[in-house]
Amino acid sequence: MTKPLTRRTILRGAGVALGLPWLEAAAATTPRHPVRLAALYMPNGVNVSAWTPQGKGRDWQLSPTLQPLASLKDKITVMSNLWNANSKGGDGHYVKEAAILTCATIKKTPGADIANATSVDQMAAQRVANLTPLPSLELGVTPVAIGVDAVVGYTRIYGSHIAWSNPTTPLAREINPRSVYERLFRASSGPHGNAAKMDALLLDRVLGDAKRLRTQVGSEDRIRLDEYLSVMRSLEERVQRASATNKTPWKPRVAIDPKTAPTDQPVDHAEHVRLMLDMIALAFQSDTTRVSTFMFGNAVSNVSFRFLPGVSAGHHDVSHHQNDADKLRQYQIINQWHIEQYAYLLKKLDSMKEGESTVLDNSMVLFASALSDGNKHDPHRLPLVLGGCGGGRIDSGQHLVYSDDAPMANLYVSMLEAFGAPVERFADSTGPLQGLLKGA
Amino acid sequence: MLLRLATALVLYAAAALAAPTEEFTFDKAQAFLKTYCHNCHKTSVGGFDLNVVATPGTLRTAPVKWNRAALRTRNGEMPPKGSPAPSVDARVEFAGWVEHSLRQEACAEGIVPGPAPIRRLNRDEYSATIRDMLDIHMDFGATLPVDGAGGEGFDNAAETLFLSPLHSEKYLEAAKFVMDFAAKEYKSRQKIFVAYPGKGVTADQAARRIVESFLPRAFRRPVTEAEIAPYLALYQLARKQGNDFEPAILFALRGALVSPNFLFLSVPPQSGTGAKPLESYALASRISYFLWGSLPDEFLTDLAAAGKLHEPAVLRYLVERMLRNDRSLVFAQRFTEQWLGTRDLRGDKAPDAKLFPAYATDEELRGDIRFQPILFFRELLTQNLSLLNFIESKGTIATSNLSKHFGEKLPVRANASKQPQWVELPEGSTRGGLLGMPAVLAVSSHPYRTSPVLRGAWVLDTILGTPPPPPPPNVPALEEPHAGAAPKTLRDRLLQHRANPVCASCHEKIDPLGFALENYDVIGRWRTEDGGKAIDNSGEFPDGTKFQGPTELKAALMQRKDLFVRHLTAKMLGYALGRGLTLKDSCTVDAIAQKVKDNDYKARTLIEEIVLSVPFRYQMARPQQTQREQTNRD
Repeated sequence: MTKPLTRRTILRGAGVALGLPWLEAAAATTPRHPVRLAALYMPNGVNVSAWTPQGKGRDWQLSPTLQPLASLKDKITVMSNLWNANSKGGDGHYVKEAAILTCATIKKTPGADIANATSVDQMAAQRVANLTPLPSLELGVTPVAIGVDAVVGYTRIYGSHIAWSNPTTPLAREINPRSVYERLFRASSGPHGNAAKMDALLLDRVLGDAKRLRTQVGSEDRIRLDEYLSVMRSLEERVQRASATNKTPWKPRVAIDPKTAPTDQPVDHAEHVRLMLDMIALAFQSDTTRVSTFMFGNAVSNVSFRFLPGVSAGHHDVSHHQNDADKLRQYQIINQWHIEQYAYLLKKLDSMKEGESTVLDNSMVLFASALSDGNKHDPHRLPLVLGGCGGGRIDSGQHLVYSDDAPMANLYVSMLEAFGAPVERFADSTGPLQGLLKGA
Repeated sequence: MLLRLATALVLYAAAALAAPTEEFTFDKAQAFLKTYCHNCHKTSVGGFDLNVVATPGTLRTAPVKWNRAALRTRNGEMPPKGSPAPSVDARVEFAGWVEHSLRQEACAEGIVPGPAPIRRLNRDEYSATIRDMLDIHMDFGATLPVDGAGGEGFDNAAETLFLSPLHSEKYLEAAKFVMDFAAKEYKSRQKIFVAYPGKGVTADQAARRIVESFLPRAFRRPVTEAEIAPYLALYQLARKQGNDFEPAILFALRGALVSPNFLFLSVPPQSGTGAKPLESYALASRISYFLWGSLPDEFLTDLAAAGKLHEPAVLRYLVERMLRNDRSLVFAQRFTEQWLGTRDLRGDKAPDAKLFPAYATDEELRGDIRFQPILFFRELLTQNLSLLNFIESKGTIATSNLSKHFGEKLPVRANASKQPQWVELPEGSTRGGLLGMPAVLAVSSHPYRTSPVLRGAWVLDTILGTPPPPPPPNVPALEEPHAGAAPKTLRDRLLQHRANPVCASCHEKIDPLGFALENYDVIGRWRTEDGGKAIDNSGEFPDGTKFQGPTELKAALMQRKDLFVRHLTAKMLGYALGRGLTLKDSCTVDAIAQKVKDNDYKARTLIEEIVLSVPFRYQMARPQQTQREQTNRD
């Protein structure tokens, strides 16, 4: 593995990546429909015996847990036996879950020198940041877990973030559906014209003030202020784009109706999840962003699934089933519930027409857990489903079975390729994922 | 018997003991390393080479290597599977010796200030600062993302207060929202519009006066002309766009609320060598964000301006004054909830609604339960009571609701029985100290049933600061029944699992602590039977020591009171400094803990000594700064 970049280098790099002028970047895009990328993360692994489909290639049958995807079988790809080698050591959860989209080995720390790698969604987002009002959308349903897990010595920040804009910056998530909705609406509808122009002026002056402060602090503190300058500058650029009234090339593909805002107090976990998934669909349909991540829960989530018939315990507890038949049964019910939510999002995207195709046809929506059998904390044979056709690039409708040591990072190489943000390597990748892309 | 139980606790607590076990020496440590590590690490393997820790001097020159070796050994990550491995007790003994030796070495050079990193206001601090600055009572930080935590486990740790693109958007929006709101509030307007254009005052002059009065409050220090300029320029820009005086002012001040000078707390670097007192205004902010979670008031600012803030008598007076102020409730709440983990009662750890309707349906009771430990701590602070009350106390915070919940007749004032209040507990009460509080008992349970393992681990981690090592990889969690032969009670199941020697080595030290608390159900109600079976609250340690119930457990913890006080001191210092502690900070922690002990464990002594401590009041000067300043001057 290459030596991790320093925070400073990365920020400089990010500045370059984001610095492309709006019009120029917009003109460079040609595909008729944008390709979107999302990742849905489920904590605590799966009941393996009910997860893996029978058969392979195009001749395969959905497993019991994957049944909710039956009507979408042609538009999904199930991948078996991929693993995340760099998440092998360390503890049972944080190391795995923080690395689900980065394929890196996180640094064991209570916080001072946090280190991961840039996640695959952010690699994609950084490539198209100039094309949509929001670079990406990070969502969840539970707040960041507070504190340091003293038993294993990791800050819980690791278990609460899968999207990392660089090795030292996890991205904050939103958990309130109403506030996401309002954000999407604002981003897709304005502020245009004068208000945006004023915002840009304001940010310009404030950035000047920030630069002065930067010269007055010590070198360690400058790194923090660089982080500030970086996010404020990219906001300024976005606001400037929005203020260029008659030249703005971006228009919502489907306008967001301000009157259909969701509640900010969902009645239960299930409703909360659905509302957040609705926000991804809305964001993708309107093209407010093309990249999103969603966490069903934090690492070691012990959300009670007693609202499901036949389940009597919390998520994490059930995942430590010890091969007890009843626990395994409950584990499977919980897994399948997650797949139902995933299917809900895929169906919703598939119902959104885009010319001859649907938004799902032009998306890649990954469903992933960072463990296979939660009882073993095992990052081998990860449960992975890719929904959607990536704008026609994905050879969907297959069960792809790999040899045991095939890196999951190969999947990310192929997803970035289909997204239009190709990379030569991603972490421990050895090439593209065989059989995933058409003609590859 | 109690003494023997206390000794058993020590076994586990050894890693954080102030004094090493007598027999352990440097030579023993070398023998330990030779036996278990030499085979691989005789040369550099995995970045660790035994030669770098071969002499006593390396404890000073290579503390990071030592620390890592100790941690990995203690946590059972090393030696790897298949190699001869030391027992858990031997691991803990070795790690404890390393930690103690490193601390001694680090303290040899005396107490030093440590880092003073710039840090962003967290969500709560942002809200409180806006509230106090503009006198508007609204939670403006509510739309900001929730902050994570690092360092000593608090959400004010500089190192984990990241910035996402989401933050920049939310800050910009919130600033607009705040100023629009403030413009309509009488009290806020008084704070903002200290001047108005009129007779003898031009609009530009009024604008300047307003900005000159607003910025020092927002930036919490005097500002220079160069710092005022961009905000006056914003005002002018707005005027040129055709805005009236008032909207133009609000626009300029919005800018100030997005400035890093407002959003971050920073300590200006100082040139020279050695420790230098913090610049007065930085110290004022540090005290104020520690005890109030908000910006300094006028009194504090005036003291800073007069250069009196560093005087110990002034600081002692301030601590007392500030703790008495209502704003210190925020401090008690944020510290207590994060230290004890009881914030999670509103999240993952909420007791199951179907199983515990008494809790789920009674909002008032939930509030009482949540605030009990917070108000308990606040009472210790304002009455300057002993911190040992956390372990065992003759009084607690109660309401009529809690009294009913406890099933104990408590002397709650009849005319204000709903108000949380300090009450004396009757003889034989089971409600003294933290371990009698439902919030603590719930957060150390599963949402649907109690867990002696979780509660035992909670006591070791939260009270004593000696978390048990993590379970070895790929060993399933305890407690779940094996298929086929599931024994009936939880205790039987745990005992069965302890038949596995790998599990037993730790669980025989964790579980008994939790069993002593089995009389409390998930939501902290007292019970004598569970599912028709009598509760067995007895425990037995590996050496055969037997004990029973919470009272004997608390008496045993009392034997380790200095360990508890040291742990609490470290937590509090980390919170006060807003950063993780370093090895060198442990000398400060030792010194403060000693002073607290010498002063009968008084709660206020802890706060005072932290505020008076070197890391809190001083910073390291930077020699390289001198050079640059020199260049600038030339």
